[in-house]
Amino acid sequence: MAGKWRQKIRRWVTKQLDLPEDVTMDVPRITMIGQIHIYIENHKGLLSFSDKEIRILLTRGQLLIRGETFVIKTILPEELLLEGKIEQVLFISE
Amino acid sequence: MKNLWLRKYYGYVTVKIEGKGLERFINKLVKENIRIWNVKRQNQESITFQMFVRDVPHLRSANHYHRVKLRFLKKSGLPFYTKRLKRNTGFIAGAVIALLIITLLSNMIWHVEIHGASPETEYKLSNQLKQLGIRKGGFQFLVDDPETLQRKLSGRNEEITWIGVEVRGTTYRFQVVEKERPEQQKKKGPQHLVAKKEAVIVDYFVEKGQPVISVHEFVKPGQLLVSGLIGKEKEPDFVSAKGKVLGKTWYDTKVEVKLKNKFKVLTGNEVRKKAIKIGSRQIPVWGFENEQYKYKQTEVDEVPLKFLKWTTPVSFIKMTVREVEVKNKTYTEKEAKKLALSLAKKNLMETIPEDADIIDEKVLHEKVENGKLKLLVSYDVIENIAKEVPITVN
Repeated sequence: MAGKWRQKIRRWVTKQLDLPEDVTMDVPRITMIGQIHIYIENHKGLLSFSDKEIRILLTRGQLLIRGETFVIKTILPEELLLEGKIEQVLFISE
Repeated sequence: MKNLWLRKYYGYVTVKIEGKGLERFINKLVKENIRIWNVKRQNQESITFQMFVRDVPHLRSANHYHRVKLRFLKKSGLPFYTKRLKRNTGFIAGAVIALLIITLLSNMIWHVEIHGASPETEYKLSNQLKQLGIRKGGFQFLVDDPETLQRKLSGRNEEITWIGVEVRGTTYRFQVVEKERPEQQKKKGPQHLVAKKEAVIVDYFVEKGQPVISVHEFVKPGQLLVSGLIGKEKEPDFVSAKGKVLGKTWYDTKVEVKLKNKFKVLTGNEVRKKAIKIGSRQIPVWGFENEQYKYKQTEVDEVPLKFLKWTTPVSFIKMTVREVEVKNKTYTEKEAKKLALSLAKKNLMETIPEDADIIDEKVLHEKVENGKLKLLVSYDVIENIAKEVPITVN
């Protein structure tokens, strides 16, 4: 329950102070360039990877990306750059 | 990728991992701060990616933690490239050495030919050439240039009239013309001796023939001196008249001497320089000091580097810069006259035969004009005035 309270407070502070959510809250920042690139910050690791599907662990939930000819261009502890033809981006809640 | 150059510089490898739970292995690598890129799924059980060579030990330690099968597919970048280059060093060095040897051999002397000389002269010449460094296996750039050689050789050998020096590739050719030796006197036909020029007979020595002149007689050119006709008038006998007729002749010589003269005198200070010339650019090799002579005289000796039968644009240059001093000298009239007279005598000596004697010297005219001393000198010379003229018998 403490976690939920914390979340609520954070959300309130962010709203009141007009801060960007990805900084204050542990949510990913996802940038897409057309269908070709997807850039994910604040990820928590790779769950599964194939050339058609990738599952990435987030602080809360997972991110599922579907498409074709996936290549991980870069992978750093908090960043990931995926290249290929992206067709779907899905959030999977806990 | 941002630091593509960096990747190439440090060198990277393409790794293939096989097994199960490959994603976990990748997560482990990422957590250990190992940079990986171009992660590709090959099939169900294998993934390829690229990483820096320096991180390979970390990869192995990660493999202890999570067992997968590792395979290195490709090594790229500078470290591997240089390694490959090192393996080929022998070959490259060989090529360079071969090229150097060919260049060196192209600049050597392989043949020395001497043409037109008698055996003794040839032997003497070949010894001298060896002293000058012209021998089989010598280097062309250590040897004097053809003109200097020619000068040196003809200076050293009296019996040589002319020597031609020719460098053709790696061959030195010497064309020798020897002085002719006095040949055995040929039997001459009947002849008279006549006067060569105007003269007063001083003396005569007749070996053969009938002298028709007497001492103190004045003769004109073409006048008969010794007749080849002897014997009785009715049945004449022809002989080849032979002898010397010494006559007093006159020569007038005009000389001019400047009273004020400028002389160029070498002071003995000199700077020797060596350089390599490539195209029109000179790279100094030896002697960098900049001479500060007011007047100088530069002698340049250029030897082109050869490659097989071609001359390369590269050449070796030897330079000698000598300091020259300009001196003014003013003669008094007396000094000038003395100089003029010696000059006149020297000029005369060149024109008269070697066996002639100068017996008197008279200054006919002397004048100073435009800073010059003009002198007209007359010389009395005793010389052989006899000239052989064959007798044509009708």
